[in-house]
Amino acid sequence: MVTFVILAVVSVVGALGVVLLRQPIHAALSLVGTLLTLAVLFVTLQAHFLAVIQVLVYAGAIMVLFLFVIMLLNIEQQRKEIRPWLRWVAYGIGLVAAVGLIVGALLDPRQAPDAAVARAALQGGNALLIAEVLYFEFMLAFQLVGVLLLTGMVGAVALVQRRRPPPGGVSAATAREAVLTDRPGRPSSHPVEAGGR
Amino acid sequence: MVATEAYVALSGVLFSIGAVGVLTRRSAIMIFLCVELMLNAANLALVAYAYRWAGTGLLTGISGQTAVFIILAVAAAEVAIGLGILVAIFRNRASTDVDALSEVRL
Repeated sequence: MVTFVILAVVSVVGALGVVLLRQPIHAALSLVGTLLTLAVLFVTLQAHFLAVIQVLVYAGAIMVLFLFVIMLLNIEQQRKEIRPWLRWVAYGIGLVAAVGLIVGALLDPRQAPDAAVARAALQGGNALLIAEVLYFEFMLAFQLVGVLLLTGMVGAVALVQRRRPPPGGVSAATAREAVLTDRPGRPSSHPVEAGGR
Repeated sequence: MVATEAYVALSGVLFSIGAVGVLTRRSAIMIFLCVELMLNAANLALVAYAYRWAGTGLLTGISGQTAVFIILAVAAAEVAIGLGILVAIFRNRASTDVDALSEVRL
């Protein structure tokens, strides 16, 4: 119980840091803290394999990708808000949602399972058990995730790569392409941008 | 042992905080971070219920954890595509402020 309370407090503080901290780097590192805390919570719930995956994939790979992009893009500070009261409306919505979810969860008390039974059934959530379910009951989802990851890979490469103009004369097609790709340094051809906002 | 509803309540709190972040942050990268937080809150609820129903049969318990595994893969793909779109937008606009991205509207 003490473990749970400590972990819950740390994870909520980390989550608040994600929402409230000004600097994107600080917010991302705060989210890393929350993710690591969630990994420990997974361990307390007999999901050891998922805890390892959480640390390796989420806190490792995904958050490193985030930090790379944040440092690459050098996001500017937030400007003055147009409608400051909207922020308070959002806080109110979040508060109502949190209270509603807590009350909903506590109104439905179920007897906690016997720890020995759960431990025997889950066996620490090892990779063998997860693989058995993943490759039989979740076969369709597994295949779809494979297609999704392939699509993501192709899409990410296609989005980020720059097109080089071909050497030689500029044909109509390449001129149109240059307008579509709209490189930095060129004056923008969007009428909306030219008009200013 | 901590009751299951405590874990679900914590998951709800984390989800709400993430939702507030999506509503209030203006940089697209920060919105992505908050979406990750919401996904993780959902994962925590799934693992908690997997523990709750573990005694009733093998598949019921472990399939919750398997669903978390699949959510993780989907989140990885989403981050790759989302950050790719962000880099492409930033290259054109030098900004990721979602209030300024108003071209894609009817």
